[in-house]
Order: sequence, then C-alpha cells, then structure tokens
Amino acid sequence: MPAVQETVARVREIDVDKYKYGFFTDIESVKAPKGLSEDIVRFISEKKGEPEWLLEWRLEAYRRWLTMNEPAWANVKYPKIDFQDLYYYSAPKSTEGPKSLEEVDPELLETYAKLGIPLKEQAVLAGVQGARVAVDAVFDSVSVVTTFKEELAKAGVIFSSVSEAVKTHPELVRKYLGSVVPITDNYYATLNSAVFSDGSFVYVPPGVRCPMELSTYFRINEKQTGQFERTLIIADKGSYVSYLEGCTAPMRDENQLHAAVVELVALDDAEIKYSTVQNWYPGDKAGKGGVYNFVTKRGDCRGAHSKISWTQVETGSAITWKYPSCILRGDGSRGEFYSIAISNGHQQIDSGTKMIHLGRDTSSRIISKGIAAGHSNNTYRGLVSAHRKATNARNYTNCDSLLIGDKCGAHTVPYIEAKNASATFEHEATTSKISEDQLFYCLSRGLSAEEAVALIVNGFVRDVLQHLPMEFMAETQKLISISLEGSVG
Amino acid sequence: MDLPVQQFRTKAEQDFLDLFTSAEKALPGARNEWVSGRRRKAIEAYGHLGLPHRRIEAWKYTDLRARVSEAHPLLLATGLAVAAADIEQAFGAKIAGLPAYRLVMVEGELRADLSDLAGLKASGVEAISLAQALEKPPAWLKASLGAINPRADDPVLALNTALMTGGIALRVGKDVTLDKPLHLIQLDGKGDPASAYIRNVVVAEPGSAATLLESFGSLGMKGLQRNAVTEVLVADKAAIDHIKLQLEVEDALHLTTWLIKLGADARYNAFVVSLGALLARNQIYAQFTGEHAAANISGVTMQRGRQHCDTTILVEHLVPHCNTRELLKVVLDDEARGIFQGKIVVAPGAQKTDSKQMANALLLSEGAEFDSKPELEIFADDVVCGHGSTSGQIDEDLLFYLEARGIPEEEARALLIQAFVGEAFESVGNEALRDAFAAASAEWLGVDFD
Repeated sequence: MPAVQETVARVREIDVDKYKYGFFTDIESVKAPKGLSEDIVRFISEKKGEPEWLLEWRLEAYRRWLTMNEPAWANVKYPKIDFQDLYYYSAPKSTEGPKSLEEVDPELLETYAKLGIPLKEQAVLAGVQGARVAVDAVFDSVSVVTTFKEELAKAGVIFSSVSEAVKTHPELVRKYLGSVVPITDNYYATLNSAVFSDGSFVYVPPGVRCPMELSTYFRINEKQTGQFERTLIIADKGSYVSYLEGCTAPMRDENQLHAAVVELVALDDAEIKYSTVQNWYPGDKAGKGGVYNFVTKRGDCRGAHSKISWTQVETGSAITWKYPSCILRGDGSRGEFYSIAISNGHQQIDSGTKMIHLGRDTSSRIISKGIAAGHSNNTYRGLVSAHRKATNARNYTNCDSLLIGDKCGAHTVPYIEAKNASATFEHEATTSKISEDQLFYCLSRGLSAEEAVALIVNGFVRDVLQHLPMEFMAETQKLISISLEGSVG
Repeated sequence: MDLPVQQFRTKAEQDFLDLFTSAEKALPGARNEWVSGRRRKAIEAYGHLGLPHRRIEAWKYTDLRARVSEAHPLLLATGLAVAAADIEQAFGAKIAGLPAYRLVMVEGELRADLSDLAGLKASGVEAISLAQALEKPPAWLKASLGAINPRADDPVLALNTALMTGGIALRVGKDVTLDKPLHLIQLDGKGDPASAYIRNVVVAEPGSAATLLESFGSLGMKGLQRNAVTEVLVADKAAIDHIKLQLEVEDALHLTTWLIKLGADARYNAFVVSLGALLARNQIYAQFTGEHAAANISGVTMQRGRQHCDTTILVEHLVPHCNTRELLKVVLDDEARGIFQGKIVVAPGAQKTDSKQMANALLLSEGAEFDSKPELEIFADDVVCGHGSTSGQIDEDLLFYLEARGIPEEEARALLIQAFVGEAFESVGNEALRDAFAAASAEWLGVDFD
C-alpha cells in the first residue's frame, strides 16, 4: 500500500532531521535570574509595571503553588522538572514597542519570515483580498507588534497584550482574569498565575461580530525559558470572535517547559471559536529534548445560548498535556471539541477535553482523531458530566485512533458521568488500522488501492480539518510538514 | 502506578487487621505452613494498601474507605437448618428448581446434606470444600490458588486471601463435558451482622466444558459483608460459562473478584446479574495467554433506592488472535448509582485482537446516576477495538407508540425496560437460566409478563 507508506513517510518528516523550524534567533533579552521565589514574582510584576492587586494575585498563586504537588495521573513519563533551574522572565530588549513594522528588529522579522508569517504581506494583501488576519505576535514573552489595531478599534474590539490591557482596561482584566481558571486550579495553572509573562487579551463588545480572524503566533526562543502565556478572551452578549493560535519552536537540547493558561468567557448568545495548531520541537530521534506542553485551556459558556468551540491540531512537543474544556453554565449553551493529535518518534500526548454540563438544554460534541506512529504514545482522556440540574443535556463523543507501526500505543480514557436522568450521552471509540472491509468495498467499486487508502485516511481526519478556519488551513499545511489531506492525495 | 503511602488508618481499616489477628489461629489451614504463609503475606499487603478510596483510580467511583465504617466478625457455621423452601424463598422457584449439580454453602460452610457431591464425582468433577482443602492442599490447588491471574495491588483481594474460609475447589477433568450446570449456592445466615470470605478455585482442564452458576442469596441476615473471589483457569480448548446471580440482602456489602486465565482456543462466557446488596462491586480480571481464545463478559444491573453497583472489568490481550465482547445493561431507579469501568489492554504483539465493549444505562429517575469509564490501552496496530457507552431515559416515542396501541403507561414502561435488559440475556446459553433471569428482572419491575 504505497499511500500508507507515504503517510508513514510524511509522519516521519516531523522528526528532527526535517524539523524545519530548528533555528535560533540571536536577540538580546532582558532576563530575570534563574529560579523562582517571591522576589522573582515581584520582579516580573515590577518589570511590567503592574498594579498592586495583580502583584498580590500573583503572590497568592505563588504561595498556593508551593503547597501543591505535580500531577502524576497523566499517561506521560518525563524526568522531574527542576523549577529552580528555569528562567521565569525574558523579554526582547526593545520593550518600548515599535510604532510600525519598520521599527521592528530586523532579525525578528527575519525569524518570522523563516516561519512563513508574512506580516508585511498580510498588511498589504488584506485590503486586496479581504482576508484579514490581525496578528498579535508573541516573541518569547512580550508582545512586540500588534497590527490591525485601528480597524479592530473601529469595531470596538479590544485586542492587545494582557500587560497592556492591565493598563488600559484594568476593570475588565480584574473582573475576568482567573474567573475561568482560578489560581487554585492545578499545579501548572497556579504556576502560570504566579509568573505569567504575557499573552493576548480580547474583548468583543455586545452585538459585535469581530471583523477578522484574530491570531497569535507563539514562539519559544530564549534558551531554557519556560514560557507562561496567559490568554483571556471575553465575548460579550451576542458577539462572535474567531481566534487562531499557531506555534513553532526552535531546536533545543534542554527540555523546555510551556505552561500556558487560556481563559474564554462567552456571555449570552456569544460565540467563541478557538483554533490551535501546535508544532513545537518534539525532541530528537532518541526522544531527547523537546517541549513540555502543560497547558490549561478552559472556556466558560457563562451566558444563555452561548457557544465555545475548540479545534486543535497537535503535532509537536515531546509531551502534550492539554484538555481544552467547556463549562456549559448558561442554559442552552453549546461546547465543541475537534482534535487531531499526531504523535511520532518518542512523543507522548495525553490530551482530550472536558464538557461539564451545568445548565439546562446544554449540548456538546467531541470529535477526536488520534494518529500514533513510531515509539509514541497517544492518549485521549476526556470527561463528560451532567450535573443534577442539567436537564436535557446532550453529548455525542467520537474518538478514533489510527496506529501506524507496532511500537506505538493508542489509548482511550473517557469518563462519562450522568447525574441527571434526562441527560443523553453517547460515546463511541474505535482503534484500528485501515479496515480491510472498507478497502475491499472501495476496490470493488473500481478505485485503485492507492485511491482507496487516500479516501479512507482522508475520511479519518476530515471531520476535524473541516472545522479549521480557511486561513488556518493554509497555515496548518505550512507549519506542519505533513498535511493529512495531501499526504494521500 | 505509585500508590500513595498510607498516612493513617480509619477504624474500619484497623478493624480488618484486628479481625485477622484474632481469627488467624482458627482459620482453615492454620497449621499448614504454605497456607498460613500466604495469609500473612496477604494481610501485610493489605496493611500497606489500606481500603481503596476515590484517589485510587480504579476505585474512583466506589470509595470503600468512606463507605465501610467497620468490619463485622467472621460468619461462623452454626449448622443452621435449611429447607428447600428457604432456597426457593431466596432465589425464586425458577432458579431454585434449575436442573443442576448443586453445591450449597450456608454460613460459608459446604452442606453435604443439600449438595450433590456424588453426582459431580460421577461426572468427572472433583469438588472439595475449601476449608477442607486448605488443611492439606492437593498439588493442583497449590499450583492454582492465588496464581491463576494474580493481582498484587488489589486490597480487596488481599483481604480475601488473608481471611478466606468458605468456598470450593473444583477440578473439571480433561475432556469432561458436564451435562447440567454446576450451581454454587451461597447463603448467608441469620442473626447479627457478620462477614463472609469466600474463595473458589476452578480448574477446567483441557477440552472440558461446564456451566458454573454462582447464586448469592439471603436467609435474612442483617448487614452482611461478603468478599468472594473465584479463580478460573480455562485451559486449552476448554469452555466455561460463568454466571452469577446476586440477590443479597439489601443492606449488604458485596465485593466479588473473578480472576480468569484463558488458554489457547478457550471459551469463557461470563454473565453477571446484580439486583441485590446496598453496595456491590463486581471485579472481573481476564487474561488471554493462548491464541484463538474468546471471552464474552456481559451483565445486567438493576438497582433502586440508594443501591450502588460497580462493575469493573479488565481484559488483557497478551497474545494475538483473541476476541472479547462486553455488554452491560444498567437500569437505575430512585437514587441508585451504577458504575461501569471497562478496560481492554492489547499488549505489544497481540495482533489481530478484536474487542468490543458496550455499556448502556437507562435512568428512570431524576436522582439516579451512571458513571462510565470504558478504556482502551492499545500497543499493537493490526487490531479492531471499539467501545461505546450510552446513558439516557426511556425513549418517549417508543412509549407513545405502545400507549397508542392501548398498553397502559406503567406496563409499556416495564415492557421497554424488559426489552432493554433482554438484549443482554440473549447471550446466556442455557435456556432455563435465560428464562429464570427474565423472570427475575420482571419481578424487579413488579410485573408478570406470563
């Protein structure tokens, strides 16, 4: 089956030899000393000129973190992280922020060019093609450049870095920060609360449909820097926003820690669509190096008839520990989770979602496609729960795994908890290689073996790929050196 | 998994240790070094593990540490008079009248007067009461007891090994096909709360075939704590139907663990019907060690009031070409809680594994709760594995259809529920048993379909 082999070959391409983004940009950084203490937390807060309440908030998180233990339940193995051997703050030296792209450090622009992010081109093309993407590019920890601000401002949308939002819209930040992922939430989220560097802040006012897709590119750059992004998106009543997040990281010997927190708040009738393509360095052939991706992502459907949709394509990182979740609090609210997780080499993925039905008539849908190859382990772990008052909650879950090779593992660990009789939950999962029956069926209808396999593998991930925004589809193909759609076509 | 270090012991946890200390000298096989050595090792293991609680992943939904407040004294045999009518009272006429080789245990003691030991022996089955066997264990028992599918990290199993008193050791001879089911009846006693530790060991030699029915019923004891373990070795080409009917008294604690090992070309069909007990857990561990074997593990759980029933199944495919089927039907009323935890492990190299797992729950009342965790852990690529889990209430459309045809609502509901669980009963091979189970579920529903 040549097409299968081709898929295998493409999956292998993620390996170190072909890791396209393994370069290192030499830009001077302002660093805090190594290690973590109250002083470091104060240092970060002071560097960023934060108000007193935020410093207190950070310190409370830090003190809480000291009492917590690292979670051990996930199906991942890694050497113990020495949290005192990390830098907790690093910012490119030009912290003032350039007024335009021309003022940006040319080396930085070069990095983006290598990444294939046509910042300038986009600005030009935007008016021509109408496909506008605002980029709040995050280089290491501080937002360096933000485009399209004016246009967004016209619509009333606030799109800035969190540290800027703290200064310009403190009331919003104070009201919503930590309201979805509290500082006591979990080990990594608490650590993030104490030392978060920066991230994106989005506020869409009532009734506004955000005029363009918002996008952030993360990039871990500075050596041994744990990156602690904090993203906060608020969609006010009746609004809509689509947010794209894509990431690459340069080659490293040291394991890098990434403990981000993403909080989404959707008020009445609002909708948030959050898409991620993650392609951080997965480690070398022996499984050495690679990014540890311990992320807490959670959306709160706070208002009635609100909707939050997560779409993710996970191809990178040595370890992924990530469960984008929805709290369906508002009556009639809806949560969605679409995921493609591809693991190869010695990668370990433990990912999934939580759909917590609290309100009446809430519904959720989970589609997860896992593809494991090489020596990797790919785990889907998910929770669907309906609480006592979640009358008429509905969930449909489908998680399929495809195994390529006999050295890898695919696991499914769903938790389904129905505490309400009117809740209707359906869960199904399959693990297989390409079915001989399906193949035979296609062949008997005159397709060649290659076409048949192409059709089947295409069908395997299509459910999820379809949910990526158009702009991101192209980006996905560029960032990941494998396109599941194209690999068999 | 790293188990957390036990920080302190609850009263119940200490109770179980004390129970062992006080009873050790009088337990069957106390003078046998091999037996007492095993018991001591087991109680030591329990001492380290303590009672399982919700922080232990496998016990997430059944927190024994929180639910068990004390250990009752061991159930002692008093030679209680038991008549045929008592057995019918406990299980209903159909089960009591089932044509079978009967082995009746009352208060944990094998009662020769109620059992058909001679018939069994004539059919080629060796049956010894465990208490007797432990005094001087035969070689085949030594090779099997605690060795068929050992589980080191299970405190409930460890407690059983430490305190096992009642039960039966069975050996179905090579190529023996038993013409009638072997019906193992477990009855409690009367009087004060007590605990019973039952251990059965079944060795089905190559080419043999038998149906083993374990029935648990009550003579009216209050607060029984039952811990029953059955180990079954299904040797090459052997076929065992292993069926359980649990009708324990409604305030009972009922913990059972089945440890199964399958050889090549073996067949193992398990079926568990859980209607009784306040807190029940059925643990089934099955392991494939020979190719082309198949297992079907199914069951029906019907609970009401504040009953809690947990079915936990772990199937390990260690070799290629084996099949597993699981189907669990759960009906929950009032504030009952049903739990399904099913895990299928496909080891590296266990290619061509075909396994399916399905759990369906029907919630009849607002307060009922169903928690499901169907897990797959797969390390081989050429496999077909799938699982499904659903929970919901009675389909209003179906109900309307029946009502539109003049069937009263209550009856229509009962019909639909009976049909729901009936799908699982289909997998019981023995027709008389299938009828008996349908009758038991109809009785639970309070209707008479005949």
